Amino acid sequence: MDCLQTSDLYHRFARQDVLRGVSMQVPEGSIYGFLGPNGAGKTTTLRLILGLLKKQRGTVSIFGKRFDDERIAILRNVGSMIESPSLYDHLSAAENLRILQLIHRCPAGRIPEVLELVGLGDTGKKRARQFSLGMRQRLGIAAALLHRPPLIILDEPTNGLDPQGIIEIRNLLTELNRRDGCTILVSSHLLSEVDKVATHVGVLGKGKLLFQGTIDELRRQRQEVLSVRISTSDNAGALRAIADGGIAARLAEGEVVLPALPNERIAELNRQLTARGLDVYEIRSVRNDLETIFLNLVGE
Amino acid sequence: MTSFLHAFQSEWLKRKRSFASSLVLGGSLFTPLIIVVVRLIRYRSLPRIYAADSFWKMMWRDSWESMAIFFLPLGAILATSLITQIEFKSNAWKQVRTLPMSMAVLFFSKLAVILLMLVQFLILFNLGIYASAMIPYLVVPGVPHPRGTFLSLPLLRENAFYFVDCLPIVGAQYLMGLRLNNVLVPIGIGFLAWVGALAAVSSKLAVWWPYAYTILNYLKDKPKGAHFAHSEFHWLAAVSFVLLTIVSYVLFVTKREKG
Repeated sequence: MDCLQTSDLYHRFARQDVLRGVSMQVPEGSIYGFLGPNGAGKTTTLRLILGLLKKQRGTVSIFGKRFDDERIAILRNVGSMIESPSLYDHLSAAENLRILQLIHRCPAGRIPEVLELVGLGDTGKKRARQFSLGMRQRLGIAAALLHRPPLIILDEPTNGLDPQGIIEIRNLLTELNRRDGCTILVSSHLLSEVDKVATHVGVLGKGKLLFQGTIDELRRQRQEVLSVRISTSDNAGALRAIADGGIAARLAEGEVVLPALPNERIAELNRQLTARGLDVYEIRSVRNDLETIFLNLVGE
Repeated sequence: MTSFLHAFQSEWLKRKRSFASSLVLGGSLFTPLIIVVVRLIRYRSLPRIYAADSFWKMMWRDSWESMAIFFLPLGAILATSLITQIEFKSNAWKQVRTLPMSMAVLFFSKLAVILLMLVQFLILFNLGIYASAMIPYLVVPGVPHPRGTFLSLPLLRENAFYFVDCLPIVGAQYLMGLRLNNVLVPIGIGFLAWVGALAAVSSKLAVWWPYAYTILNYLKDKPKGAHFAHSEFHWLAAVSFVLLTIVSYVLFVTKREKG
């Protein structure tokens, strides 16, 4: 069952089509990586989902209910952080969360718990204005997690975090998903940030959803063999033998590099090389990685 | 109702340690403090002042002069704008609008905080007036205890009038504060409107100016404000506040973020 569904979301701003018919399906219990380069329309989509922007066309359903019909009931079960965290600089981390705790009516004991969870347990009376960018980001995430929502929507949550912080947040999201079964929708412009945690991805480019499915599906659908590399006991001899067969090959990094070939042609080459008395140590296909697939998809 | 109370508590917490809450404290106690200092400097005249039958009436009038004309309207302009601007300043509208509460609860809980701060301001000011009368009596030897009682029905009524007369300023500033991102704009417009009120009080048309009512209430017993003495401008103040609040609410509910 889908936890979140958008249908044909369209948004136009400043005479430009920001979104052009985005239909997302976020399965329940998944970590959905919402990918796309800057300006692709990710934040606009998330703002439409949360009712921060007026919908011009399309619908949003969360937990099987239409957002426009049951806004308050839905928002009770959603935690979010859109763009930069919203913090009251003159208040401490705990006071910032207390403001939300009163509205969500969750136990006050949840405040120190969630602060500990994001690594801000020892900030005490320090005001938010004294927080570093990373600490502010963590507090924003804590605010989204405070009331244990079944759906968490985070827009670029690792912005401003150091590598250690990125790993911690990544682990936190995985843990929340595994332990509490939360559905997490996390946007990013970097595939490398979400491919380690996401179970599903949606790739947005120029306002259109270019791909949606599991990471493995993305890999399978778009993976291509870029080149074939052969390592032998005499690579120079192998290069000559391959060139005699009319294939444009070259030497690189101690290997013979050939363009992508069908499997039958590779087997034939192997037979030719061994027939010439060469020992063939390795033949391997070099495929494009996930990052390349992503970049090809969004056309960069 | 429960959600309103929770929203109110949440909004009340936001004003903690803010400049607006310092303003309530400082603004309400400033005039009484000045009165104490002046009286202690001119301590020789105190026995005569304190022996007068109209001591509390004079005390009340002297204290309200600067308050009604200057501190109360300007305090309302500043405090309302600053409280409303907390969300813009903290980039928090997007978070507040994704909380599980209706727009009405959000709008009125924030307004209720401002109104309670206004009540707080008046209570502190009244306590300040009382303290500014009693401190010289306790400190300077030979000063008699003031005659009569401070707490009286006319005093409560006058406080209520000042509260009502201040509401249109709160309404207008609230409307602007919710619409305009830059805090300086509503404060600047409010300041100009207050200057306009000062200029307008010599005219009968001042009763139609939302920023003039606290000044009119002070002047109604003075020769300069004699033409307002029988004017029911408190009703006009209340009605204009209601109208401004309705307009403000409609604009707030229909407002959407751009992007």
